[in-house]
Amino acid sequence: MYVWDFAALKPYWPLIWQGLLVTIFYTVTTVAAGLVIGLVVGILRTNSPRWITMPLRFYIEVFRCTPLLVQLVWVYYALPVLIGVDMSPAMACFVTLSLYAGSFYAEIFRGGIEAVDKGQWEAGRAIGMRRGKIFRRIVLPQAIQVMIPSFINQTIMQLKNTSLVSVVAVGDLLYQGSVITATSYRPLEVYSTIAVLYFVVLFPLTLVADQIELKLGAHR
Amino acid sequence: MTANGATLAASNIHKAFGDNQVLKGASLSVARGEVVTLIGASGSGKSTFLRCLNLLEMPQQGELAIGTHRFTFGTGLRAPADAQLAQLRQNVGMVFQHFNLFPHMSVLRNLTEGPVQVKGLSQVEADALGRDLLAKVGLADKADAYPSRLSGGQKQRVAIARALAMKPDVMLFDEPTSALDPELVGEVLAVIRNLAAEGMTMVLVTHEMAFAADVSSRVGFMNDGVMAEVGTADEIIRQPKSERLKAFLSRFHGAG
Repeated sequence: MYVWDFAALKPYWPLIWQGLLVTIFYTVTTVAAGLVIGLVVGILRTNSPRWITMPLRFYIEVFRCTPLLVQLVWVYYALPVLIGVDMSPAMACFVTLSLYAGSFYAEIFRGGIEAVDKGQWEAGRAIGMRRGKIFRRIVLPQAIQVMIPSFINQTIMQLKNTSLVSVVAVGDLLYQGSVITATSYRPLEVYSTIAVLYFVVLFPLTLVADQIELKLGAHR
Repeated sequence: MTANGATLAASNIHKAFGDNQVLKGASLSVARGEVVTLIGASGSGKSTFLRCLNLLEMPQQGELAIGTHRFTFGTGLRAPADAQLAQLRQNVGMVFQHFNLFPHMSVLRNLTEGPVQVKGLSQVEADALGRDLLAKVGLADKADAYPSRLSGGQKQRVAIARALAMKPDVMLFDEPTSALDPELVGEVLAVIRNLAAEGMTMVLVTHEMAFAADVSSRVGFMNDGVMAEVGTADEIIRQPKSERLKAFLSRFHGAG
């Protein structure tokens, strides 16, 4: 019978906290960068000539249709060889996670924008509004309402996906877990603790998402 | 005003969607204060023609003059700039079959969006204007409601008020009662009737023949992409002469 001993982790708590902070840091920064990429790419894809939409489509499909783990390893090991620029593990992780998030957010933005009834554009035009203003004031607010559930979903995935940065030795929560395991010989306690920490961070996020959705749907 | 005293003159309007030539040289001229209804079978091009009047559809050939705005269309001619279109549309209100209210804004904000964002009125001025117009369409108590809480008839009255908030010279109505339950048609027609009585220049596409006969200064019968016949309600609806017009109207006997 295995005897659980969580007290054995006590000396490692500072490392665990540090890992958690790194995880949150990568989530926040790559979600932010991914949103910017996604918004720009998503908008461009809805109303651009083919020579713009085709490469964007290519970018999106490459990142959606290959595993993030492969992308991460490829950007860290292969890309520097290809373009002759050395990238720190941190930079490679930031770039890959941002592009990965961006490809999914772009599709969410595009879907949201296209889900808004064409009649809304016409109503805006009929009162003399210009294109940009119709987009900002009429279409985008409605698109964002449609997008919120998928957006939250993707962001939750993004936080969990940051765990992959541990493969290039970036010190996130999972990486610290493996380091602690190697010295404490307590893998069950370590990974249980880490699982609980991921859950404790993400679960409240889903509750907030529910609230936002309720509020936004109030006047539908 | 255009040369012949009309406030709106569209001539020889052509419009095709792909291979489908919908308008084949349709023309119409409307004097200030006139109410012109367009009737015709579905596919005759009447909605497309109406949408050409505020350039939601861009004609491929023809001329359009509304107030001081003039446009000529043809191969080799540049399409009007976005700014010119926006200018025109400030003076031409439009009411859609499916209302197209802004669902994320309150009723009052729907009305003030144009005046504030396009004309640069202050929110306070626009609110006062908006409340006046809501009172006029009988919806003063709905200012803070969201469109989803309104009946179809109420939505369409809000849509009319929204168009009026821009103080347009001409109002266009694209089948304003076609999406409504029968018992809600009357309240919308009453609002339009009031506007006609006030002397608003209007062009309507409608299937409500009795209403068209009643409210129109003139009626245009569209057939196969052209304005086949134009005349008074008596000439077109009550005592039609041509066979094709009789055939079209016979389908509405007892209706409307």
